[in-house]
Amino acid sequence: MSRPPEPLAGIIERNQIWSRMAAKYGVENPVPPWKTSLDGLCDALDHASCDANVPTFKERRDEEDELCATLYASLPYPENQLVALAHSLLARGVISEAELRERLVAVRARLEA
Amino acid sequence: MTELHHDHDRTVKPMVDEITDFEVLEIALRELCIEKGIFTAEEHRRFTEFAEQIGPTPAARLVARAWLDPDFKALALAEPMTASKEVGVDWLEPTGFGTPSDFTAFQILADTPGVHHVIVCALCSCYPRPILGNSPEWYRTPNYRRRLVRWPRQVLAEFGLYLPDDVEVRVQDSNQKQRYMVMPMRPEGTEGWTEDQLTEIVTRDCLIGVALPKPGVTTNVIVDTRPAIRPGAQ
Repeated sequence: MSRPPEPLAGIIERNQIWSRMAAKYGVENPVPPWKTSLDGLCDALDHASCDANVPTFKERRDEEDELCATLYASLPYPENQLVALAHSLLARGVISEAELRERLVAVRARLEA
Repeated sequence: MTELHHDHDRTVKPMVDEITDFEVLEIALRELCIEKGIFTAEEHRRFTEFAEQIGPTPAARLVARAWLDPDFKALALAEPMTASKEVGVDWLEPTGFGTPSDFTAFQILADTPGVHHVIVCALCSCYPRPILGNSPEWYRTPNYRRRLVRWPRQVLAEFGLYLPDDVEVRVQDSNQKQRYMVMPMRPEGTEGWTEDQLTEIVTRDCLIGVALPKPGVTTNVIVDTRPAIRPGAQ
């Protein structure tokens, strides 16, 4: 893929990166609150043994390095880590663009309810 | 009541009062993985708890104790996993329910007047998380990983660490099964200090090897993270 998948492109465009959001609200935490959950997600994926085309630890990190240096070079850490992981899971067919798009809408609706 | 409200305003830190796309993306990915049976919500919760509670304090305490107790230092170098247990870290069960991806053998690299150690993972970003916490952002960058193994003195200088020519620099490359941490030498000016006092100056950067402990310095060096120059792009 030479472009970000559509659901990720919109997220990048809106650019709600932590440094910007933290500055807007006067928050001092250096990393966003979802970072430890992302760490848990990465560990759980690395630990997974299933039939899906889930990347191994090394594959996941190699793909993250490549994507963060190219397609997502404009994003800071850890947003680039998260988006690269989403990209890997989409590119490997672990999740589809359609289901991710739907789920993003559903999660936001739930959080804003 | 007015006073209570006043206290509340003063003590509660501000929060980002907005739902961000990245927060939504993390939840969406996690839920889809759980629904597909890749992992369970319980597994995710436990790994997240592990990520939240780890930090460099046990490693700092281990070094401080080793500085004060030669027998403990000998134990730390000969049986690092046993010594880790004495500061509350069980490498065989770091999460209390099974190992994350980074288990491993563990070794402690003791600096001497003639040898300085620094750790890296040239391949990815392997790091002794159970005892040092999550790696800093710069440790994960290709910039640090590629350049440290080639030009260690130059990279250390970028952290403000200039070593004399007669000090050998040993770069220890971690991998998925083997993790390291550095035991720096006790600095001058700490005579008579307690273990707690010494623990405070053993920062994460000292345990990686990009800084040396110094009385009065209890924070890490912050350097801007720079992207690696991609040879293919030039």
